[in-house]
Amino acid sequence: MQIKMIRKKTQQSYIARIINVVNYIQKNLDNELTLEELSQKANFSRYHFHRIFSGMLGESVKELTRRLRLERAAIELRTSTTSILNISIAAGYESDMAFSRAFKAKSGLLPSKFRKSEQARFPCLSLSSIRYVTNEHISSFEPFIDKELNMKVMIKQVNEILVAYVSHQGPYEECGHAWDTLCGTLAPIGLLGGDAKMIGVSYDDPDIVAPELLRYDACISVDEIFSTTDKIGFQTIASGHYAVTTHIGSYETLNETYQKLFGQWLSQSDYESDDKPCFEIYLNDPESTEPEELITDIYLPLKEKDNG
Amino acid sequence: MDKIDLFKLHKADYIAPKKPQICNVQNAHYLAIDGVGGPGEENFNDAVAALYAIAYTVKMTRKKNNLGDYVICKLEARYWSINKQCLSEQDKSQWHWQLMIRTPSQVKTSDIEQAAKVLATKGKTASVNKVKLIEHEFSQCIHMLHVGSYEEEHRTIEQMTTFASEHQLSATGEHCEVYISDPRRIPEERLKTILRMPVNS
Repeated sequence: MQIKMIRKKTQQSYIARIINVVNYIQKNLDNELTLEELSQKANFSRYHFHRIFSGMLGESVKELTRRLRLERAAIELRTSTTSILNISIAAGYESDMAFSRAFKAKSGLLPSKFRKSEQARFPCLSLSSIRYVTNEHISSFEPFIDKELNMKVMIKQVNEILVAYVSHQGPYEECGHAWDTLCGTLAPIGLLGGDAKMIGVSYDDPDIVAPELLRYDACISVDEIFSTTDKIGFQTIASGHYAVTTHIGSYETLNETYQKLFGQWLSQSDYESDDKPCFEIYLNDPESTEPEELITDIYLPLKEKDNG
Repeated sequence: MDKIDLFKLHKADYIAPKKPQICNVQNAHYLAIDGVGGPGEENFNDAVAALYAIAYTVKMTRKKNNLGDYVICKLEARYWSINKQCLSEQDKSQWHWQLMIRTPSQVKTSDIEQAAKVLATKGKTASVNKVKLIEHEFSQCIHMLHVGSYEEEHRTIEQMTTFASEHQLSATGEHCEVYISDPRRIPEERLKTILRMPVNS
């Protein structure tokens, strides 16, 4: 009972903070806002801000901005005589053609038809209940996933892990080369097997970083640093508390579990994420395992609490 | 060079229906390690770890040296008792087993010796020295997919025994399994295991 109340309270606090961001976006709808700026508004650390945001709202900052602009345009169409071209430009489109296409995709009607039709409903475009409002602050919203939280999360104290690693930049599907280099170097000297862990460190949120710029380290835990080729580096995975959940299934759907972990679990917990990357431990071999049986533990770094 | 996937190449050996069926598993190469005792006990788990350590070390070393790549096959096991008694009547501590991973014939004993040597120097389990390369022919078997916990296998085995007598086949007393699912994380009730019963006609 008490835990439930605390949960409710922390979720309210996450909601209140996200609302600040949403209102700030609505007020500055014509500006390009940076994630730094937005995370500061809600007192979130920059590193994982976007995952919390999109996890709770079901849409990215970009998508929300675009959608609010379209909703504002719909109101303009109905209540003003401003030309469609000018409304298009105000909504951030380069031409009325592009605007019309986007508007129709979302509302089912071309802007010109929408303007003339009294019956046409305002397009209801959102996954969360956030709508563009003209004269007031948005005061609350339903988190995108409001079902019972059915995710097992454990808080684990992790000791520092020394790893040998190979960096990869590009789409996650292509990180196999990094793994080949790493395993090809470690296998001949007897460092595979036993309790050697296969760890992936991903530095970016694939929702906001282009695939070709995604940074990833393929890592294998080792007991000590050794001399090797310059393709292999050594680093430590920081000790501390981590929220750990298990993803079962294809690596292609890992991002959904990340979204749920940040948007659902974290926002209902009384923890804050720390400014360190998440990491993944792969528990089986993707080459010989059916994708639906792949098991991955996801580690989300948490800030240490001040008062123990 | 194409990656060899023996599991897919020999589908007939590794896709079993939920009803008993006769299959014939030809001679093949395996990495193997022998032991005595109940499955899941310490020396058994140690043997599994040693077998996989050798399997991946050999695979990645050969790949690195451009000797071709292949997929590591599923773990298989043979169980028998020295006095030919039925295993279910025998205390588990008396079970003899051989754990196996099917391996392309290109893999040589020298690959395994080299892998064991480097793994031992890095302090991995001493059991790596017990892993060997064998050829084995299961020949004629009855096989069937068992879904569920290992403890409930007796029901599946009963069906296979009935099937054997209906077809005038006699079991050799050996019991074999192919572990399709990963018992570390797949819930018991969903574990998939192919049971093989070698038979003489």
